[in-house]
Amino acid sequence: MSPATKTLPESSLSTRSSPERDDLDNNRRFWDLRGVQWRTDLGVLPSSSSVDDVRRVTANSRRSYAALRRRLLIDPLIPKDGSNFPDLTMDNPLSQDPDSMWGRFFQKAELEKMVDQDLSRLYPEHGSYFQTPGCQAMLRRILLLWCIRHPNYGYRQGMHELLAPLLFVLQADVERLSAVQKLYEHYFTDNFDGLSFHETDSAYKSNLKQISQHIEDDSGIQENQVMANNLEELDPKIQTIISFSDAYGAEGELGIVLSERFMEHDAYCMFDALMNGAGGAVAMANFFSPSPLNGPQNGLPPVIEASSVLYHLLAVVDSSLYTHLVELGVEPQYFALRWLRVLYGREFALGDLLVIWDEIFSFDNHRLDGVSENDPEISFGGLNSSRGAFIAALAVSMILYIRSSILATETATSCLQRLLNFPNDVNLGKLVKKANSLVALAIKAMRSMLPTMHSDGVSERSKLAVSRGHSLSLDISASGTGTPISLVRDSYWEEKWRVLHKEEEEKQTTSRKQVENRPKGWSEKVKSPLLRTESDPSSSKVYHEKAGPSRPHVRRNLLDDLARQLGLEEEIENSVSEDDSTKRSLSGNGGSEGNSSIFSEPPTPTGGDANDNDHENDTERSSVASNLSVEENDPEPCPAVESCSATIPEVSLPLPVSDTPKAAPLPLVQNEDSIQKLGSNLKERISLSGKFQWFWKFGKNGGEGSVEKGGDVPDSKESSSIVGRDQKGETAASATDVKSVNQNTTCSLKNLGESMVENLEVIESVIQQEKGETGSKKAMLVDRGQMTAMAALKELRKISNILSEM
Amino acid sequence: MVLVMAIGDLHIPHRALEFPTKFKSMLVPGKIQHIICTGNLCIKEVHDYLKSLTPNLHITRGEYDEDARYPEIETLTIEQFKLGLSHGHQVVPWGDFDSLAMVQRQLDVDILVSGHSHRFMVYKHEMGMVINPGSATGSYSSMTYDVNPSIVLMDIDGLRVVVYVYELVDGEVKVEKIDFKKTSTTT
Repeated sequence: MSPATKTLPESSLSTRSSPERDDLDNNRRFWDLRGVQWRTDLGVLPSSSSVDDVRRVTANSRRSYAALRRRLLIDPLIPKDGSNFPDLTMDNPLSQDPDSMWGRFFQKAELEKMVDQDLSRLYPEHGSYFQTPGCQAMLRRILLLWCIRHPNYGYRQGMHELLAPLLFVLQADVERLSAVQKLYEHYFTDNFDGLSFHETDSAYKSNLKQISQHIEDDSGIQENQVMANNLEELDPKIQTIISFSDAYGAEGELGIVLSERFMEHDAYCMFDALMNGAGGAVAMANFFSPSPLNGPQNGLPPVIEASSVLYHLLAVVDSSLYTHLVELGVEPQYFALRWLRVLYGREFALGDLLVIWDEIFSFDNHRLDGVSENDPEISFGGLNSSRGAFIAALAVSMILYIRSSILATETATSCLQRLLNFPNDVNLGKLVKKANSLVALAIKAMRSMLPTMHSDGVSERSKLAVSRGHSLSLDISASGTGTPISLVRDSYWEEKWRVLHKEEEEKQTTSRKQVENRPKGWSEKVKSPLLRTESDPSSSKVYHEKAGPSRPHVRRNLLDDLARQLGLEEEIENSVSEDDSTKRSLSGNGGSEGNSSIFSEPPTPTGGDANDNDHENDTERSSVASNLSVEENDPEPCPAVESCSATIPEVSLPLPVSDTPKAAPLPLVQNEDSIQKLGSNLKERISLSGKFQWFWKFGKNGGEGSVEKGGDVPDSKESSSIVGRDQKGETAASATDVKSVNQNTTCSLKNLGESMVENLEVIESVIQQEKGETGSKKAMLVDRGQMTAMAALKELRKISNILSEM
Repeated sequence: MVLVMAIGDLHIPHRALEFPTKFKSMLVPGKIQHIICTGNLCIKEVHDYLKSLTPNLHITRGEYDEDARYPEIETLTIEQFKLGLSHGHQVVPWGDFDSLAMVQRQLDVDILVSGHSHRFMVYKHEMGMVINPGSATGSYSSMTYDVNPSIVLMDIDGLRVVVYVYELVDGEVKVEKIDFKKTSTTT
């Protein structure tokens, strides 16, 4: 039973670059004994250095398997001791009772049929080992027993591919043992007095000739004795092998760690440990189960969640590739299902796969701290351990490996083709090294997924949209913390452009507001269930519904971004028009980034401009904009004022469009640069602050002189959102002055005031929440934000008073 | 572990309307490997139904069967057992032990399955076994009174056969089990 290709590259265990893996080197004592190494990694064998311990655990695990086998693989025909007469009405072959012996027999027959189907197609290229009847019988028994033992999982295609390499490495170990045995024969044979066992058998028939011959071989004997004494001086690897296979060690023959006879037992234990995760996070069985990890209501099947983790990481690492994939509509589970379920067994040749699994198993499988399973809505599909992180990192590194060919594809099918036909000649070392470098990032990404991820609990579709949105927000948080400076710089120019652009647009539209008012409201309401909502105590009015829920979220992001922007230069003397803010807010409309992106699309139909892209992408991510858009939409029910109306058409323009089920990725199409996106996000905010300044320039409400201008960016941020509305009111006021339609102005202004009050309440609630927040990595920023928010609140109060007076 | 069902004398549609539902619920396709049928089904629909349970269907001709193409006698070998099949109306006197034994010797089978009497019987005779599965529908017979629906299931495993008898008594399915071991292998 020798494998066709015995590829056991001794030096294939790649060098580890990351520091946290160095301490693992100490545990990798069994460099060339993959079976033992994997058993230790998977938790089947203890990682203690004592040979006796290892042997004892081996023996125990084998005993339990043997007992299991005897118990479950029963033959119904064997008469049961006569003492217990089976109830014939139940135990007859045609009985429908599933518990009857026959029922179980038929179930087993069904399982066996499925298993056999798969086994017959297992590794045909290594058929000389895997297709032999002995090996197939072993595989079949192991799989059957495991499936009978775990009836809730049943047998799923792919389990056999997880099991096959395990058996293979055990076989390889045994072969290594026999090779060593040949070399160091004398250690393995019972050689006393220079006579081997068979010869001592006939000791009674003393054959003088024989004995004399042996005596003459004195030199040989002495040599043997000398060599036997030098066991300790042998290569430690050989030493390990010998001590593991000593028939006289602890537990005798049952404890021989490398044993052909008990290969099935060992393989079963390894398979069981792999499937159950041995108490850690990554349990392969989860990938085969359709039910979510944290309860039936709370999530998606684990494999879907794990695939989304994969995509999150990809978004962090290479967002252009990610957006390309999303735009093509390639959901991660299309290819990740196969990758994960078989742990890349189908993507690599067996030899390569062994190296990959070496790496995977060398990672620890304990659940990561800070990535809690207590949150009922997040489970990462069971990838929340460093082993899981490496699995995700490896997947991402594989995707990156074929990056150029993926980017060249135009359709989802061709993309999937590239992904599912992974090239055969891969530079494994490079792949693994890249994956290693991504592990830390993966863990960080998973951790940062926690505070931003919330499940709507509304529908699967929204969950998917949300999760996609999550990935986007993850992108913000992950890359935002990494490169704040560049973002800020981009956003400045972005804001400037947007300001100018909005002024232009404002001049164009006048009369469309009437028509668009109605659809605006309707589409708004449609959007509201799709918004990500935190607890919002203040949303009471219907038409503020949308504003309310998104506001706290927006506020939080506002504060975060504000804090980030504290280093920004403040002289942004933008001649900001209200339209600017409106538009931006429009584009950011919708808590779910997908929706907001849709909003951003229509206002900039030309789309060729880089700024445009930034703008849109930015808006899709910035909930700031979304809030603003909402707020600004809401207080504009009065149609009459032209300037107001000028803003409204822009507000409502994207709304009808957004109703069309455009793919959220649409705006992503135009964005190739995540940094740009974030930059534009911040640019928006800067433009808002600019607007704020502009507002104060108008100075109608001179009492607010205390309000800082650009110098207090957070303040301006806070108030600018509301100021946007105020600005509208202001411009409206100016417009009415020009057109003397006072009534409309006051009407709109009053509405402004009302919405402002609501906004205030929201801010306050948000701040309360933020105070209660713990463990947020933006705590420091939030604190600052809180202070500035408080200040902003005061200003807002004043503004609202003035407005209401008007 | 070959499951063989012996069944016969249904007399559908003349003397019985349909297969008893309790039996029908037990008969799931895929469990039984062979069905041997003594005859008197009588119509094609019953044949089709039995065929749906398993493709290995062996039927002999009873005197009321509408399909004239069934053979009078059939023999088959399952594992270590040779089975002989005949309806039984050809053997006169009907149901006579010695006459049936003569047929068994003639066919040189270990197990002879025959019907016609509508009475379930299993007995060991000389070196073999004779099984009468009775009537699956409990249809009227001029020879037997109080006919209960019954079918026979044989579990053939190597040299051993376990016979399960399912009888519908007062609407309830009663199961009996009989063991039979062959002493020597078939040459």
